[in-house]
Amino acid sequence: MSADPNKLGILVTSPQNMRHILGVAKAAVRAGKSVKVFFTYKSIHLTKCTEFFELSQMCAVDDLAICADSYTCEGYDAVKDIPRGLTDKQMRTQAFHGAILDECGKYIVM
Amino acid sequence: MSDINSILQVYRSEPSDDVKKLVNILNRDRQADEFQLYVDTPNYDLLVQKVFAADKTVCWW
Amino acid sequence: MESLKVYILIQNRMYGDGIRSGLGLAVENHYAYPVIMNGEFPSMSQYMAENISWITDMEGAVLCCGGDAPDNLPEGVDIQSLSLEELGEQMREADFIIPYGLPKQTNEPPPACAE
Repeated sequence: MSADPNKLGILVTSPQNMRHILGVAKAAVRAGKSVKVFFTYKSIHLTKCTEFFELSQMCAVDDLAICADSYTCEGYDAVKDIPRGLTDKQMRTQAFHGAILDECGKYIVM
Repeated sequence: MSDINSILQVYRSEPSDDVKKLVNILNRDRQADEFQLYVDTPNYDLLVQKVFAADKTVCWW
Repeated sequence: MESLKVYILIQNRMYGDGIRSGLGLAVENHYAYPVIMNGEFPSMSQYMAENISWITDMEGAVLCCGGDAPDNLPEGVDIQSLSLEELGEQMREADFIIPYGLPKQTNEPPPACAE
């Protein structure tokens, strides 16, 4: 499968760029593109921002996930406290990042 | 990335001297563009336009 | 699926997790090159040592730039040193460059979190 030239992959590794992530995602959708986003390590704290729920409503279930191990490492309960806007199927591994590299024609890091 | 012609450098904060040196090397012989995210109101539509126009994007810290 | 060359730049002492992220890509058959910059080496736990060895076994490499690797690395852990210019030249061949986490801090960590 070749990468989709109209799909933007976003890897989130920093805990302080939620406004940029949402801003870019909205702009991409306005431009007729789709986004696929993975939150890992300390960026998973952003799932507690109100803007995260808004992002979750813009993305297909297969296009938004967080690293479940990171979530647990940071002290959250990956079973009883799944972030608002996500399902247990979106609590994933680093393989999701690999899928972003494979599927997305464009890629940014936040 | 050896076969890329155009590269976009995005700065999430003001670039350090090390970042500037790396950017100079990465931009050599390529069509280079940049975008600053560390302003009050970034134009995200313009950023998306630049990302999709460039072959590759690097988002620095 | 094409194997991609991915550089993960680690410039902050709190973000040694970029090495785990590199291993995650290595097991997906990509070439991972985590780069520890300016001497911001993570604590060398057994877990960290195993991750570095695995990346090497999978034809990637953990690199360091701007600070020498510790000379007491566990057996099987190899961290190759290179200059900023060499890193830049190598990254021209990269498919992806990931400046990981946060930038380097100005202050040294206080005792509460120095270890």
